[in-house]
Amino acid sequence: MEYSDEDRNRRITQLRKGILELAVMGVLYHERHYGYSLVRVLSESGSISLKEGTIYPILARLDRDGLVRSEWVESGQGPPRKYYALTSSGQQLFDELNQEFDLLVSLVQQKWKATEQSEPARKRLVVRKG
Amino acid sequence: MNNYPEVVAKIANDYLERVKSQLRLVPAHERDEFLRELQSHLYEAYRQTPGEDDVGRILAVLRNLGDPAEVVSDRLPGAMVRSGTRRSLPLYVMGGILIALFGIPLGFGGVGVLVGLLFALAGIAIAYYATAGSILLAGAMSMLLGLTRMFLPHLWDNLVTLGYIQINGPPAELLDHLSASEQGLVMILFASALVASGLGMLRLGRYLLRGLRFLSSLAFDWMRRLAQSARGKLRRDNREGPRVGAVPFVNHGQ
Repeated sequence: MEYSDEDRNRRITQLRKGILELAVMGVLYHERHYGYSLVRVLSESGSISLKEGTIYPILARLDRDGLVRSEWVESGQGPPRKYYALTSSGQQLFDELNQEFDLLVSLVQQKWKATEQSEPARKRLVVRKG
Repeated sequence: MNNYPEVVAKIANDYLERVKSQLRLVPAHERDEFLRELQSHLYEAYRQTPGEDDVGRILAVLRNLGDPAEVVSDRLPGAMVRSGTRRSLPLYVMGGILIALFGIPLGFGGVGVLVGLLFALAGIAIAYYATAGSILLAGAMSMLLGLTRMFLPHLWDNLVTLGYIQINGPPAELLDHLSASEQGLVMILFASALVASGLGMLRLGRYLLRGLRFLSSLAFDWMRRLAQSARGKLRRDNREGPRVGAVPFVNHGQ
């Protein structure tokens, strides 16, 4: 083995980071959530196991950049919850990032096709580059 | 509010304390807010984690959340870098060097020293430009003299007789060996050299100005940050002072 588990995990973490942020934005696009409910939604819809603590730095970053707004809301029981929702500039950015993400996904998957099949797929890749 | 059994509260409390100790470098306002958020997370997660064993439940919650170091890891560099992202990094490197060299504390004293340095440098800059200006002036004058000598020898002679122009010492002896136009030429060459060095000084002055601008932006930046932290402190005292202390299970377990 030339590639260690540690390296692989680091790459997976790296890959997830940006995408997780996008997913968080996607969830907060229509609904407001507090940290734990956000974690629940994310882990229900995908089978990805994520350390719940990673959600907070993401939220803090989005907040700092003005992409989400947050407010403290008293809860029926227990301590108050901090709710987050996407701001309009956050929504706008999400729309753009989402398109970019689609392009990237198709780029990654085109590559697979290109090895199996032939010209057309490769041609499209080249067109996209230019 | 205290729906936790005492053991659970102790464990949660210990966890939050460990997070808190990791966040020493984060501004207090930000840190307290984050701790409250984590506290809410622990509560919600604990409530929704099934199981009979209280300790097992809270431990599962904490395991899912991650080690304090992990939870904090992204936050620390972020908070530290954030203030630097909008400005250029070299500014902060230079600031660090200044602090290392002069032991300038990051406070009003530090800004004072910095402002002092700023004035000193401004003084140097003014003196520098005064020098450059007088060299240029001298150059222009001798250029004028050279032209007079070359093209208006009569005027020159009159001026010498009247005592307006006096050239003494070795330069005069040297000039006496030359014809009128040659004298003019020498003077014009001399003038050109003066003008060139004056212009050169002006050009080099840009670096001096750049240094001045750099130091002043450093000073302004520090002042801005000081004002910000002071404002943050005021706001926290007014709005959230009592609330932060009333953390439900920080008081509970003890």
